[in-house]
Amino acid sequence: MKAAVLREANIPMEIEEVQISKPGPREVLVRPIAAGVCHSDLHFMDGSYPYMLPTILGHESAGVVEQVGSDVTYVKKGDHVITCLSAFCGHCNKCLTGHLSLCNSPEVSRKAEEAPRIAQGSDTIHQFLNLSSFAELMLIHEHALVKVREDMPMDRAALIGCSTTTGVGAVFHTAKVEPGSTVAVIGCGGVGLAAINGAALAGAARIIAVDMVDSKLELAKSVGATDIVNASSGNAVGEVIEMTQGGCDYTFEAIGLKATAEQSFQMLCPGGVATIIGMIPPGTMVELQGVDFLSEKKIQGSNMGSNRFRVDMPRFVDFYLDGKLHLDQMISKHIKLNEINEALTALKSGQEARHIIMFD
Amino acid sequence: MTLERVESEITGNVWKIEVKPGDKVEAEDVIMILESMKMEIPVEAPCAGTIKEILVSEEDAVDEDQVLATIES
Repeated sequence: MKAAVLREANIPMEIEEVQISKPGPREVLVRPIAAGVCHSDLHFMDGSYPYMLPTILGHESAGVVEQVGSDVTYVKKGDHVITCLSAFCGHCNKCLTGHLSLCNSPEVSRKAEEAPRIAQGSDTIHQFLNLSSFAELMLIHEHALVKVREDMPMDRAALIGCSTTTGVGAVFHTAKVEPGSTVAVIGCGGVGLAAINGAALAGAARIIAVDMVDSKLELAKSVGATDIVNASSGNAVGEVIEMTQGGCDYTFEAIGLKATAEQSFQMLCPGGVATIIGMIPPGTMVELQGVDFLSEKKIQGSNMGSNRFRVDMPRFVDFYLDGKLHLDQMISKHIKLNEINEALTALKSGQEARHIIMFD
Repeated sequence: MTLERVESEITGNVWKIEVKPGDKVEAEDVIMILESMKMEIPVEAPCAGTIKEILVSEEDAVDEDQVLATIES
């Protein structure tokens, strides 16, 4: 099969011929139909997050089941599925206490002594986040996918595989936004826009979108933002505090920078909660004013929207088909696999929402 | 000759150990692969030298800053 292989950070990927293994007892072979190009892929492409190379990036996809392993009963050939990197074992402490997205069990991967899921001749190609969706086929654990309705368009379904679940989930599950509250979202890429949409679904009274690109702020309004702040003015914190007369109940950072993480905390009202969704590079320290803890301000992380994706994703599909979740405007362009490097360059520029790879 | 410590930058599990005591390594060679929050993260040699000790086993849980191996350089 063909796949976009990353061999060195910051070096464009090449489309190469690689081999995919046969499904083991609990594995499923999926033919992706659509795969989103996410900002998180860029973190690994540019080396700000380390990863074993060579690898095949991509972790936001939807497709059709091609083949199942001998013990798989949940799906069958032909089922429409969304994949998710939050593969869960189902029996560790995290899973059994309802925190499936924090499952760290290695059993959803193949063991070190087993043949790799992806190879090129005798060389291992490291599977990315147990998925690797920039490829014509994906071999994944049965707990890394969810069945969805067949009337759901695949390109929209792919978005639910990461950005929607991460943004909406951060609002619903991590922060548990209350109806009538005030919310600010810093960063209006795919995840930030999903958080804005989620805040609207949760009934937030005021949703302030913060970004430096006017076109993204316009997109933010179309998915539920009630107010916008262009941060290029240099005083986003002051503007948000003035607009809300003292700060927000909830803030969400959806970029992954020290400065914006600190700003998300500074934008809170007493008792408010800042949720960091963006991937801050390893080694980066975040600094806060200690005195702010006296007013019960809180800061927390959110990984993949604290999801329970087998429950969440079919609900998000229904939300989209009911017109409540706005996914159409999230997609700026449909591309082919061989245009992946251009898509990542466009993503880096910060000017566009999301490119979706469509497979033939 | 100095003894360099190879430390984990993250909390996770040891997925695969790529070297054994006595092996010669160059700086940035992969010594082992850790798995953390679904990521396969390489642990690289901080310097060239000879692996003196491997202090963990595959499937062990490791903490941030834990010494995983030592290298005589």
